[in-house]
Amino acid sequence: MLLEVRGLTKRFMGLTAVSDVSFTVEPGEIMGIIGPNGSGKTTLLSMMAGLLAPTAGAVRWQGEEIQHLRPDVIAARGIVKTFQNPQVFAELTVFDNAMVATHLALKRSRGARRLGELVGLGRAAERTLAGQVAEALALCNLGGATRQLAGNLSYGEEKMLGLAMALMCRPRLLLLDEPASGLGREEIDNLVAVLTKVHAAGATLCIVDHKVGFLRGIARRVIALDHGEKIAEGPPEAVLENPAVIEAYLGRAHAPA
Amino acid sequence: MTQLVLGQVLNGAIIGAMYGIIALGITLTFGITGIVNFALGEFMMIGAYATYALAERFGWPYPVAVVPACLIAAAAGYLANKAFFRFTRNNLVNGLLVSIGLISILESAALLFWTATPLEMHFVLPGALRLGEVGLPKMKLVVFAVILAVIVLTYLGLARTWLGRAAFAYAQNPEAAMLMGVHTPRLETAVMLYSTGLAGLGGALYASLYSLEPAMGGVYVLKGMEAAILGGIGSLMGSLWGGVILGVIEGVGSIFLPTAFRDAYGLAILVAILLFRPAGLFGTE
Amino acid sequence: MILRLVLWSALYALPIFVRSDFLLTILIFTFIYGMLGVTLDLIFGFTGQLSMFHPAVFGVSAYMTYLLASKAGLPFWLATIPSALTAVVLAMIVGSICFKFRLKTFYFAVVTLAFAEVIRLVVLNWNSVTNGTLGLVVTGRPTVWLPGMGVVAIKGPVAWYYLTLVSLTLTVIVCARCLSSWMGRCFGAIRLNEDLARTLGIDVFRYKLASFAVGNALASFAGGLYGYYTAYIDPGYLSINQSMDVLAMVLLGGQGTLIGPIVGSLVLTSLPHVIDLRAEARAILYGAILIFTILVMPRGIVGTFNAWRARRAA
Ligand SMILES: Nc1ncnc2c1ncn2[C@@H]1O[C@H](COP(=O)(O)OP(=O)(O)O)[C@@H](O)[C@H]1O
Ligand SMILES: [Mg+2]
Repeated sequence: MLLEVRGLTKRFMGLTAVSDVSFTVEPGEIMGIIGPNGSGKTTLLSMMAGLLAPTAGAVRWQGEEIQHLRPDVIAARGIVKTFQNPQVFAELTVFDNAMVATHLALKRSRGARRLGELVGLGRAAERTLAGQVAEALALCNLGGATRQLAGNLSYGEEKMLGLAMALMCRPRLLLLDEPASGLGREEIDNLVAVLTKVHAAGATLCIVDHKVGFLRGIARRVIALDHGEKIAEGPPEAVLENPAVIEAYLGRAHAPA
Repeated sequence: MTQLVLGQVLNGAIIGAMYGIIALGITLTFGITGIVNFALGEFMMIGAYATYALAERFGWPYPVAVVPACLIAAAAGYLANKAFFRFTRNNLVNGLLVSIGLISILESAALLFWTATPLEMHFVLPGALRLGEVGLPKMKLVVFAVILAVIVLTYLGLARTWLGRAAFAYAQNPEAAMLMGVHTPRLETAVMLYSTGLAGLGGALYASLYSLEPAMGGVYVLKGMEAAILGGIGSLMGSLWGGVILGVIEGVGSIFLPTAFRDAYGLAILVAILLFRPAGLFGTE
Repeated sequence: MILRLVLWSALYALPIFVRSDFLLTILIFTFIYGMLGVTLDLIFGFTGQLSMFHPAVFGVSAYMTYLLASKAGLPFWLATIPSALTAVVLAMIVGSICFKFRLKTFYFAVVTLAFAEVIRLVVLNWNSVTNGTLGLVVTGRPTVWLPGMGVVAIKGPVAWYYLTLVSLTLTVIVCARCLSSWMGRCFGAIRLNEDLARTLGIDVFRYKLASFAVGNALASFAGGLYGYYTAYIDPGYLSINQSMDVLAMVLLGGQGTLIGPIVGSLVLTSLPHVIDLRAEARAILYGAILIFTILVMPRGIVGTFNAWRARRAA
């Protein structure tokens, strides 16, 4: 068990966004979280990444409780989250955005020796990182846009930049919040290819999506949320046939894709 | 001793209420319009000098001079908003920088006009009220009562009117209020007039008790901000109480500790309170 | 890059061609204020934290450097070291408090300002050491150790010119090294989007503190120099107006650039020499320049120039 979510609850002034949710993430798997809009998926993921403090419950990472840790500490442990609405440094170039995201990699590989950079040492490490950044950007179909300002990217490109930045953090568990929304057909194909590659390289993935079609292709196991509660868990096909899940979607005029 | 302590408590409460008025004005302006008017202390200074000029130079009775003084301060606030502040909406740092520029201009203008020599008005209302062995100056009691009345009216106004509900909505959930777009030009103008007019009133009252210096605005805005942080950023009533607490601590503190450091006591308390309640006294997480 | 090298070389060559004491004096002040501007820009323009603490370290270091030199008998250049360390300690204390409570934008500005005020009060009232409002007359000259020449005393405008120019150059180099390393990336990330920086694993608290400490440590050298150059130190060094002057320089020259604050310093230090104004009128002018810059030319002189050049190149 890589990560365990136990009784996680989040209330926003009366509104319960996530209610007593428990599940586990096994090493090396691709798991999915589905649920209609407003069912609490983003809130759940944010708590796992330390961006929101839970009202109750615990998140255990390899046995250690992490829900009270700062987001940067959690990221350093290897849990990295992308955003549903892409977050980038709009005033920096695409390349510089990804360079910022090399922070953890550089810290892991050089530690205090980074101080040598201040007197001109360690150029080699920087060059290696720059090479890796270029690779990650090419992988995410941003190879042609490295010198552009991130603020000038299209929505889909911003989203892929967000993914590239998350990849530069070398996550062991990658939390993806609706990575496919706002992307075109071809972009989605590319996204699937990237995720497959990252997974093959050893990362565990936890993907949130409300379009079920995308997850069916890649996730082995999904959990379904509705009104903040977990209503089903199992292989995608089984969960999609679960009456509670159908009700959750159809009841709000969302046909399962 | 009781006399001394009680006197300082009253003094501190009055000064503190002035901090509170500034803090309230800053919080309200920022909350409703997204504009930082850090120069609010200067409008207090304008109100104070206007009162002085009308009462001492033109010989108007003090109560009559107070009203136009407030209007002058509010008019200055209106102009400052039209000329500068409205361009800094939703940019806190620019608002602060423009304010710093304005502080420098207004303070220096006051220096040129009135010189650095402290000015004092004649006693408006001499005499003291005796309670047992404690004597409390009448004018201080009057000023305190006026401030208290203004605060109560402000509170009622905020609770009852649309403007006030918008402000409370902001204080409770800034993001949601911002998304709902709680600002219109007229609301912005109203808030600017109110906050600067209120600061002007604070200045007019101040003038009846203490001596005036061109630099007073800068001091008060600093204390006002400390009060706002102390009370909890975004909390309207918190700003007022934060101000009163700050004022009383300074007043009472300077009885027992060296007066030269009175400006430091408030800060020490502020830091101590932040240590235990990071969101301020009345702020919510 | 080449333009910058030419400019710096020109500055170093200037006294060979120009022997006007008037001009050198203006430039010496420009360099010292430039040091304050560049270090404030590291904290404000690059890391996004509007600090009002600069006058405190500037003043404390001015007193400390002189007192250590005159009372403890340290040579000037050695006395600047404990002053810088003191600046670091002060910055760590104030910075920790502010950053721990996540005070940002104008709340940060106000609390740093309040701390600077407290330090000013201490300096003002600690008569036995600082001589209170009367201040201290600085006697003696700064001494520096030069390779091959041993310890020499600085006297005359040309020597002062080079001492301050070298100090400014070193300040700029240290800032530039920080900014071109991973540290600079962290500073920029914090300025642009603190929350995103956090999710990418950046310890925001630590890097804000680093920026604040480095900026203040370097600013302290300006204090030591200024005290000796003007030969007089008083609590006015720590006044809020200092903050305001330096801020105006940074903004006018161009925040977020290393050259901008120096350009701003040049304009604003030469202004009172070129047109004679009394102090109040000068403050009004500074205020007007500040407001004008923010509302009309937010990138400052250098930023606007760079943007213009980039547009022409494109
Ligand atoms: N910061 C917040 N404050 C108040 N309510 C929130 C906040 N964030 C989310 N919510 C509410 O929590 C519920 C779950 O939201 P979210 O987790 O974004 O759902 P999803 O990602 O599944 O669409 C929604 O009703 C939303 O309005
Ligand atoms: Mg969502």
